Amino acid sequence: MHDLAAMPARLAAFLAAEHPERTDVDVVDYEVMTGGYSRLLHRATVTWTEGDERHSVVLVLRGDPPADKSLIHTDRAVEWELLRALEGRVAISRAHHADLTGDRLGTRTIVLEHSAGISMLPYVAEHGEPVHEALTLALADAAASYHTIAVDDLPASLARPDSWDAYLDARIDEWRQTALHHVEDLPVLRYVAAWLNAHKPPPVPLALVHGDFQASNLMVLPDGSIQMLDWELAQIGDPREDLGYFKAVAQALPPDLLDRDVELFCQRYRELTGFDEAQVNPIVISYFLILGVIGTVRRLLEGGAEFARGDNHLLMSLFNLNSIQFGQMMWLDASEGLEQAFAAAKGA
Amino acid sequence: MLSRPTTEQVLLSIADNLQSDIVPVVHDEPAKVMLAMMDQLLRGCAQRAAHEIAWMHEEAEAVVAAAQPFAGDRAVAESLAVLAATPDGLHLDEACARYDLASQVLSAAIEAAFASGDVAGRTSLFALLRARNGHELAIIGSLNLVGRG
Repeated sequence: MHDLAAMPARLAAFLAAEHPERTDVDVVDYEVMTGGYSRLLHRATVTWTEGDERHSVVLVLRGDPPADKSLIHTDRAVEWELLRALEGRVAISRAHHADLTGDRLGTRTIVLEHSAGISMLPYVAEHGEPVHEALTLALADAAASYHTIAVDDLPASLARPDSWDAYLDARIDEWRQTALHHVEDLPVLRYVAAWLNAHKPPPVPLALVHGDFQASNLMVLPDGSIQMLDWELAQIGDPREDLGYFKAVAQALPPDLLDRDVELFCQRYRELTGFDEAQVNPIVISYFLILGVIGTVRRLLEGGAEFARGDNHLLMSLFNLNSIQFGQMMWLDASEGLEQAFAAAKGA
Repeated sequence: MLSRPTTEQVLLSIADNLQSDIVPVVHDEPAKVMLAMMDQLLRGCAQRAAHEIAWMHEEAEAVVAAAQPFAGDRAVAESLAVLAATPDGLHLDEACARYDLASQVLSAAIEAAFASGDVAGRTSLFALLRARNGHELAIIGSLNLVGRG
């Protein structure tokens, strides 16, 4: 994928080898896609003959960038294994093939079907307020669809925390450790760690967490349901992290479906997951608006630190620091708002 | 040296020229996304060039004052002592190094305030975080996550 001119021929040879029953495999269109910050994304239109018929399909190639242009480090083999485990159980873009050595497609690559859906943000921009309620319910359905998968059914490559308490403590400590390992001290992160530790919510069973559950990774399908893309940051953790993460990113990329219709969302999500009102409510979601972003925050700060040390020269590493600074405002706002909510609840 | 036009003016002019003369003739989507990121970064650099040394100095002074009630805490006392022993230079590297030390004082004071349950102290330190973030927001302007969605 790093040599764009060579890709149509490489992809055609790759697909012909994967499907010996197909002849005259031809890549008739091949282009770079925008939209992803971490992986290379290419789109290919492929035709072939099978039996007496000529077929056509649009595929998406999702591959690792060159090592010196890699913003975050995740494993395509783990992602591939998870996608195969989710197939048929969760609405994902079907993963057809993988080159996990990079020998055939030039870098470690997963080949997926091109989604039939429309990305959530343009969908909302096109249809406006009338679709918000239906979309809010679809969002709850989508999140619950993988939050309710038994952990035992997930690939062994995903680490299993010992307990919810141990997991949450480690997640909170990740804020402090991220601050301590950065190129300069970050008092907001140290404050967030102390604040999160002082206000832990009730536990829920650990589950699959998408890790980047935001509108840019959600496609609205023709039937109104939601398909989820980009599982590279998935792990086993507290499922409410995804709800908070969605809300956090929606502050920068509105609309926030978990603002106006948050009670509707919570009610549907509780029905589907079996969680109670103490476990899932607007206040808990706001708690996870803070906690749920640490995985991404840590990775973005690591990129910024590498730039400061001269270990990378990626414009994206600089640009992503803007999100951190915007995020700090959100974390301070959320913690302040929750303090007021706690005080009001105590007064009542 | 020629101090005018200022660094802020130079950087803003470069950003404006990118927008008016370069962006319209670029049609490659990834390149357009990169140009939009450069525009935001250049405007942020202009803000920093105009204010960052003063802001770091002012924040450090405010941190020292706000940390005094927590000076009985060992981590706060140690970080305050290191900061006090560090010269207050105006070159950027010196200012950044001193700002980092002041940040360590603020972090230690925050952790001390949480550990002791000092709500009033936490409130005064929170105000410093707000002020710090106010400068950061002035630097980034309006966040536009170009290329997403």
